[in-house]
Amino acid sequence: MALIETANLTKDYGTVKALDRLDLQVDPGIIGLVGANGAGKSTLIKILLGLVPATSGRASVLGMDVASDTENIRKVVGYMPEHDCLPLDVGATEFVTHMARISGLPRTAARERTAEVLRHVGLYEERYRQIGGYSTGMKQRVKLAQALAHDPKLLLLDEPTNGLDPTGRDEMLDLIKRTGTDFGISVVVASHLLGEIEQVCDFLLAVDAGHLLRAAPVSDFTRRTPTLAVEVEEGAEKLAAVLTGKGIGVRQDGNCVLVALEGTAPYDAVRDAIAELALPLVRIEQERHRLEDLFRDAAPARGAR
Amino acid sequence: MNVASPAAASSADGSIYDLGYRHYEGKRHGGWFAIWSLFTEGLRSVWGFGRPMTAKGWPFALAGIYAFPAFLQLALSSVFAQSMSEGNKIELIAYRDYFGMMWLLAMVFCIAQGPELVCRDQRSHVLSLYFTRPLNHAGYAFARVAALATALFITLMVPMIALFIGDVLMKPDTLRAIGDELPRLLPAVPANAVIALGMASISLGLAAFSPRRAYSTIGLVAYFLLMEAVPAFIYAAGQHAGWTWAALTSLLTPITTLTGAGDWFFGAPLSADFPSTMSADQYVAAALTSIAVFAGLLLLRYRSLSA
Repeated sequence: MALIETANLTKDYGTVKALDRLDLQVDPGIIGLVGANGAGKSTLIKILLGLVPATSGRASVLGMDVASDTENIRKVVGYMPEHDCLPLDVGATEFVTHMARISGLPRTAARERTAEVLRHVGLYEERYRQIGGYSTGMKQRVKLAQALAHDPKLLLLDEPTNGLDPTGRDEMLDLIKRTGTDFGISVVVASHLLGEIEQVCDFLLAVDAGHLLRAAPVSDFTRRTPTLAVEVEEGAEKLAAVLTGKGIGVRQDGNCVLVALEGTAPYDAVRDAIAELALPLVRIEQERHRLEDLFRDAAPARGAR
Repeated sequence: MNVASPAAASSADGSIYDLGYRHYEGKRHGGWFAIWSLFTEGLRSVWGFGRPMTAKGWPFALAGIYAFPAFLQLALSSVFAQSMSEGNKIELIAYRDYFGMMWLLAMVFCIAQGPELVCRDQRSHVLSLYFTRPLNHAGYAFARVAALATALFITLMVPMIALFIGDVLMKPDTLRAIGDELPRLLPAVPANAVIALGMASISLGLAAFSPRRAYSTIGLVAYFLLMEAVPAFIYAAGQHAGWTWAALTSLLTPITTLTGAGDWFFGAPLSADFPSTMSADQYVAAALTSIAVFAGLLLLRYRSLSA
């Protein structure tokens, strides 16, 4: 069963089209939802949670329609919002227990789950203290705990690393990774930080201006490109000239010469040219795609529209 | 604090076994259970349970002072019980007059605890979490009004029970006294329920419009004072000018309206405190209208907050 499915999903806020005929079909796993601010990430999450109705089109979560089956979806979905959402004058244990009960767990079960989940997110003795006295990192853990408290099948995380220092970020990303792999809960991580997505997700949805830019496994985005990067300390111009003379397509980028790879011929040509010119070579490496390229390539397209 | 591996987690916990993540296979309740959970949490937090001691001060002090006269009468009755002969009964305070006498405390209770209940949730943005659970804005509003109304109902009923016990103890034949007193106590139950619901809906209907507790409190004080003073002024002016409709403005006064509506359950004509042209029926209608209006306001407010 598909985790998330949308067809022709459109959300029109009057002046802005937050989502424009979005078609998605996503399987369970750890899914990254990337896009610039205002690309429609939060709107998509809100529609999936049934918080805002779609203008047109339909969407379903775990096979349940978001418009007609909202309550059943919410029973099995956990949500961690981007902004602060914690009362400061209660303890983490009490708060998470309360949220578990609101999600439909009976009292005893809610208590047990709370104790377990707080342990999983790494809150121990401090869980009885008032949340107001917690650090940002601890608060983020409580936010994650309340989303996990009712053992959801799908976790929607909106910018989960907001405001965290590098260590806190790594720990949070690690927790998300564990949630997806060890706990077997599907996770959708909305973020504008591509590095994080690359680190934890195995599938990527890129949205831009309400459109789906691309949906593919993360490895597809980061696979090798048919380009060989040859970096030299000096003489990049000479190298480029020699290679062009041999009929090989090259492009120069600072001290780097990017060689189009067609067969194995360029390797030999590059080796010979460098030896011939006696250039100080730094590295020869086949280039990989980076997630950033996705948006760099997309930018002109958006401007043209 | 290291959460990188399960092993590290279990050693920090001091336990030998790490059971790993266990899925929950038990029962999952729906919307009504969520409302019930929110209601019980609300009832607890109105009284300050589960929160610091300072949060318990106001509600208990106000409820205590509200009940004080009744307990005084209870104490007196036990002192005088021995010397009382059959039929020689001291009734200092009647059930039906109690709210009319002590309403100020109930009002302050609402002004203090209403904002406490709804502003905190808005201020901390915890609403955005509630509304992604099997709980919609109507359910939230319902649970909050029910919590404050129940807390207020308890406050209003404690002195009723105290009066009841006092009246029974003053009579030599306890069983017969219970039989005599119970029918007189019973109308106080629906009467106080209507009063509690009316005050709770006003209090939350207005308080919910600001996430800042201070503004909500000021707004409530202003509303109760204005609605007390303006109709009284118009009524007084009307008596001189001969405006027959001026008495109707008392329907705008929340306390007068609710006291009058409560009186309806006790049957007999309204006391002399009310304008002579008004009937208890009119106050009941006004009270129900007020509950509907403020409940509607509350729903509107939370519908806009839930989007």
